[in-house]
Amino acid sequence: MTTTITESNENTSGFTKNLNLDKHISRRFNEELEQLRTLVMKMGALVEQQVNDGLSAVLNADSKLAVKVIERDHEVNTMELEIDEYCTQVLARRQPAASDLRLIVSILKSITDLERMGDESVKFGRNAIKLAKGNFAEEEGSRPLVELKHLGKHVSETLNKALRAYAEMDVEAALDIIKNDNIVDEEFDNISRLLVTKMMENPREIKNALRVTWCARALERIGDHTTNLCEYIVYLVEGKDVRHSTIEQIKASMSN
Amino acid sequence: MTKLNKNSTVSQPNDSTASITEIVTLGLKKRHRKEKRFKRIGLSAVLFGFLLVVILLGDITSKALPAFHQHWVKLDVNYQASWLNIDENSTKGVTESELAQANYRNVLKKSLYQMLPEVKGRSDKRKLAQLLSTNAEFTLKDSLIASPSLFDKQAQIWVRLDDDVDSYLKEAFPIGEAGLRLNQNQAQWLAQFTTSDRIESRFNFSFFTSGDSREPELAGIKGALMGTLLTMFVTLLLSFPLGVAGALYLEEFAPKNRLTDFIEININNLAAVPSIVFGLLGLAVIINLFGLPRSAPLVGGIVLTLMTLPTIIIASRAAIKAVPPSIREAALGLGASKMQVTFSHVLPQAMPGIITGAIIGVAQALGETAPLLMIGMVAFIVDVPSSIVDSATVLPVQIFLWADSPERAFLAKTSAAILVLLTLLLIINLTATVLRSKFEKK
Amino acid sequence: MNAITLPKPAKVNEDNQNDLSQIEITETVGNIYADDAKMSIRNANIYYGEKQAIDNISLDLAKNQVTALIGPSGCGKSTFLRSLNRMNDTIDICKITGKFTLDNEDIYAKNLDPVLLRARVGMVFQKPNPFPKSIYENVAYGARIHGLTNNKAELDEIVETSLQKAGLFNEVKDRLNDPGTGLSGGQQQRLCIARTIAVSPEVILMDEPASALDPIATAIIEELIDELKEKYTIAIVTHSMQQAARVSQFTAYFHMGKLVEMDKTEDIFTHPSHKLTENYITGRFG
Repeated sequence: MTTTITESNENTSGFTKNLNLDKHISRRFNEELEQLRTLVMKMGALVEQQVNDGLSAVLNADSKLAVKVIERDHEVNTMELEIDEYCTQVLARRQPAASDLRLIVSILKSITDLERMGDESVKFGRNAIKLAKGNFAEEEGSRPLVELKHLGKHVSETLNKALRAYAEMDVEAALDIIKNDNIVDEEFDNISRLLVTKMMENPREIKNALRVTWCARALERIGDHTTNLCEYIVYLVEGKDVRHSTIEQIKASMSN
Repeated sequence: MTKLNKNSTVSQPNDSTASITEIVTLGLKKRHRKEKRFKRIGLSAVLFGFLLVVILLGDITSKALPAFHQHWVKLDVNYQASWLNIDENSTKGVTESELAQANYRNVLKKSLYQMLPEVKGRSDKRKLAQLLSTNAEFTLKDSLIASPSLFDKQAQIWVRLDDDVDSYLKEAFPIGEAGLRLNQNQAQWLAQFTTSDRIESRFNFSFFTSGDSREPELAGIKGALMGTLLTMFVTLLLSFPLGVAGALYLEEFAPKNRLTDFIEININNLAAVPSIVFGLLGLAVIINLFGLPRSAPLVGGIVLTLMTLPTIIIASRAAIKAVPPSIREAALGLGASKMQVTFSHVLPQAMPGIITGAIIGVAQALGETAPLLMIGMVAFIVDVPSSIVDSATVLPVQIFLWADSPERAFLAKTSAAILVLLTLLLIINLTATVLRSKFEKK
Repeated sequence: MNAITLPKPAKVNEDNQNDLSQIEITETVGNIYADDAKMSIRNANIYYGEKQAIDNISLDLAKNQVTALIGPSGCGKSTFLRSLNRMNDTIDICKITGKFTLDNEDIYAKNLDPVLLRARVGMVFQKPNPFPKSIYENVAYGARIHGLTNNKAELDEIVETSLQKAGLFNEVKDRLNDPGTGLSGGQQQRLCIARTIAVSPEVILMDEPASALDPIATAIIEELIDELKEKYTIAIVTHSMQQAARVSQFTAYFHMGKLVEMDKTEDIFTHPSHKLTENYITGRFG
């Protein structure tokens, strides 16, 4: 699960080109927006790392990794504050309009979602530590864990795709992700049911089962936040606020 | 010069910054010196001009001063009936008509001889009588008619002295000097009068109250002054409205075509035409063709109007052009018609400039002599004109005529008349300044 | 309001994205017609001699709304504005074709007196230009020349009401006979506005009314415009996009004599449809 987002070249990234970030008459403004882009991508990369590491810590009962994840959340929060401040300054100084305005508004919303994803990752870490103590992982082939792994992989890949789409401002990819939002929900329901069954079968495992449930829920939340990110992409590029619309409505309004 | 690239700073290294300051400082001294020199030259030019004006005015004033006072002599007049040639034994008493027709010259001569009985011989006596002005007898007549009780009585009457005597007394030249027409005896008699306190110098009111005359001591500028005022009145009345209206039309209403250009060129050229040409025009067309009276202020006014019109039009156009277009636009935007824009806004704002132009034109016309000569305002007019169709003359012509006369007294009078002309100019300019500031305040 | 139908924005060849002249404006984007139009313009073309200043523009000025005209310098907005009250009549080489109507009457009809038109369509200029008369006279002038009143009492009332509406009365009520040119820049402009309203026009055209004023005076004028729209239809040309965004309900973007896009102001400033509009608003090209 490597990311290449931050490696993308400033000058050719879809983010810059599709939004014409570097075409302002004010060179300083171009630079400020580029800086903003870089910061957001960095935060995205960090959050993705957190998610993946958190998941890994849970699945492999890796307490050390879990601790790292918990501590690194501090960085995520710092970045949120930094980007927030930066956006406020751009608003104050530049009074951006049209696409620039939508960019700032989207970024402000996006970092909230990213920070929440970070918080969910912390949950992974905490639960991972507790689960490691309980040797839950030793039960090889345990259905819930397998399902969790499966869900985790899906969410992680989706997050990766979303961040790529964000980096390239790729509306098609974003729409794709929005469309598949319900898959995560279905999988979460599956895991819930499995874990409930497990709890009923083996009351001693309730604590661990619950912890796994919470991890699954965290994944579900991460999936929702990822979908939000994609909605912001559509808003940014197309100028349409597609939150709370069904995919059919979105498609319909975009083809007009 | 360092090339500008991303990593370099924009400012120059320190030593070249310093050298620029040095270079500028060096040049600075020279520039200040140049300025000071220019200021000095300007100031001295102004002072020089001012000095010349002062000299000119001083010269004229000093020459004009003698014209403002005259010497009078107190005579012991005997209104004897026989001298007056009036029958004193008539039972009716003396009537006014008798008094009016009496022989005052006789009274004058006889009274004079009575005062200086040592003067004998016809030529001497004639010389004595020549000391007095030619209108002395009329002074006696006026005095008697004013107070008829003096009939057949003695009285002391002040009469004017002849202009030669006046000049002699003013300038105190020794007898026999060139241009002076008194002889030794006359000087002696005058000395006698002086010692017996019979001679005094009075302010010359008649300079302002009487018309022209052959006798210098009686000559005054009233006629010329009235003529000038009447002519100016006609000129102003005709040229101001025509000039301003013409300028308004050309600037605001005239379409931009060849005809308008043609008119403009002609107006500009007319301003440069020699004034005597207008005089010829006046003579040929206004007097001969239209039959208006010759030498009248009306004709003079018309001729001067033609002369002044181009000046007024050109100055008015400049003033109208100077009105900012924003005012016109504002008025138009409110829905004002073209006439309203022109008369409510453009004209009042252009007034100061228009008045200046009018004053320049009128002042120019004030001093014009040549065209007026052509239409005959050069004649010797004694009566003061009272209407614009009476014969008249104007101040510049009067000055010209007096400057030609041989009598010494006319020299002073010429300068005095010039002073009056300049004063008139000054008054006109002051009026213009007051009017201008009144319009500017609005 | 129905959903807004937007044509797809022009596709731009990426190579010459920098070269604006290559972008063809074939038709105006957005909503140019209003249901309730005070003034309508159809297929307007304006020429200065050989040079074409306005190229086939059609739009409506909605009644009792503020319409802002924005665009780079020399794009023809002021020319267009001036054609709405026939101020271009004073320029000989200016030729105008197209249909201009006020309440469905053709304002360029041969028998229509421009003086009458300008009593119904007033104008406020960029640089405040009060007459060199007293404040009272400035406001009363329009009413006087149109014969709107006969006696002094009515005239006094017109002057006072106009100054009140322009938000100037309290500042000058003690010095109505002082010269209008003695006021500050912002006050002078409000005086010009009062002067325009005194004639009770129906439409007010404003050509960059606040460009010569400081920020506070500008804010006062903008507030005034907002209040005025209750009674008058207003068209304002402005170089400041923020001003257009603050003050207007509809915005029209002009570019090189063509109308590129016109729509509700909030839409133009959050998601404009045409790339040129987007570039102008975000400061990508002049």
